[in-house]
Amino acid sequence: MQELDANHSIGEAEAGLTTLIELIESLSATRTIEEVADVVRSAARRILKADGVAFVMRDKEQCWYVNEDAIGPLWKGKRFPMDQCVAGRAMMTGRVVVCPDIYADSDVPHDAYRPTFVKSLVVAPVRPRDPLAAIGVYWARPQDPSPEVLQKLQVIARATASALESGRLNDYLAASLEHGHFLLRELDHRVKNTLAIVQSLTRQTLRTTPSPDAFAEVFESRILALSHAHELLTRHAWGRPQLEEILRRALTTFSDDAAARFAISGPAVAFNAETAVSVHMTIHELLANAARHGALSTPGGHVAIDWNVDETTVPALLTLTWREQGGPSLAGPPSRRGFGSKMVHQGLARDLGGQAVLDFQPTGLVFTLRAPLSERMGLAA
Amino acid sequence: MKTARVIIVEDEALVAMMVEDMLGDMGCEVAGSFGAVETALAWLSDHPPPDGAVLDVNIGGEMVFPVAERLRERGVPFVFATGYGDLPRAGFESVEVLAKPINAGALRMAVERFRAA
Repeated sequence: MQELDANHSIGEAEAGLTTLIELIESLSATRTIEEVADVVRSAARRILKADGVAFVMRDKEQCWYVNEDAIGPLWKGKRFPMDQCVAGRAMMTGRVVVCPDIYADSDVPHDAYRPTFVKSLVVAPVRPRDPLAAIGVYWARPQDPSPEVLQKLQVIARATASALESGRLNDYLAASLEHGHFLLRELDHRVKNTLAIVQSLTRQTLRTTPSPDAFAEVFESRILALSHAHELLTRHAWGRPQLEEILRRALTTFSDDAAARFAISGPAVAFNAETAVSVHMTIHELLANAARHGALSTPGGHVAIDWNVDETTVPALLTLTWREQGGPSLAGPPSRRGFGSKMVHQGLARDLGGQAVLDFQPTGLVFTLRAPLSERMGLAA
Repeated sequence: MKTARVIIVEDEALVAMMVEDMLGDMGCEVAGSFGAVETALAWLSDHPPPDGAVLDVNIGGEMVFPVAERLRERGVPFVFATGYGDLPRAGFESVEVLAKPINAGALRMAVERFRAA
């Protein structure tokens, strides 16, 4: 039996093995594609006794020469179409490409090689089943690579594949963590903003309702409307809900026979998230008023809601009309201006930089909103 | 006690209405309430400077800083009111920030400072 010191001097064959193990150890410590390319190019050149090594990534339909280590410049930083480069061929076929004399081989794009020292080469794909990179090994004279060189190159390619996969996983985890933090910050902001709106609703409702019971009833209906507005926003992933959707969502909570009570028509107009909440709350107040005093307080009453966009002006101008009919006849404007009319006048119109008019005609309330299109409100595609 | 003339820049109408009410309750006159940076700047350029201002920071995606700049040039005291905990405030680090939802007590103290200035 023979025992060897851990640092026992090793022969030349084992020296190659040791550098291979060192390469694998260095690869396992890499975290990015650049680090992998850096380790592979220098170690592979040493292990394979080559005149040059290039590390090539697949970038969709292109080969990207990420880094190299060679006696003369190769193609570092350049990109070539997959089907016009030897590394591309290795990646498309998943097979090792061996070329003992490139100028005797018509499949090699000679023009790309003429400025370089390269006379012979081997290119191995990294992860042969679905190649994501390739390692190119080059010599300055024509030669057949030894079986040992081919074997070692394949070991290097496999070690590189596992390093790249763990690196990608790392990138992916880092990116999703960052996105998670961004979402948390955004959520914090939106929750505080929504609480500020609830705070506003509380104060405004308190000063316009005569009793605790009345407060509870009106306040709850406003909180529900706010909740519906948020439901719609969530469905759009905080994108841009459309006016018609907002209307339909709001109307169904007030009337089971919305189709008979409301006539809606107008082009597709969409709002940003903040404005959509104002639109929803304004419609809620108009509906609540119609249910208490207007067209929705009698069985035969109905509301026509229509809007149009005049694109001949700059900026284009939206005109929306809410016209109640068939309700009790009105004696004129109410003596007291409540939160609803304030919301209608100073809320949505202010948000949109437009003007709102409430006209208490004997036949019913007519609400008209005129506002310019902007980032907050636009025609939907 | 003199009546402080205060302006508001806030893109959320419902929040603006509340701040208007709060300021009214504190004996202030709301000289202007704006939902956009541009309209606030336009108002400032053709009105005498107010006694104070309450500024939301993010106004429909636009930063309120040009308004803050103009107020500072004219020596008008102001506070920020924001739901963002960590917005960059280049050059305005010393300005007081009211968190949202708004604490009426903190707003009252800001108004006292407007009156004193």
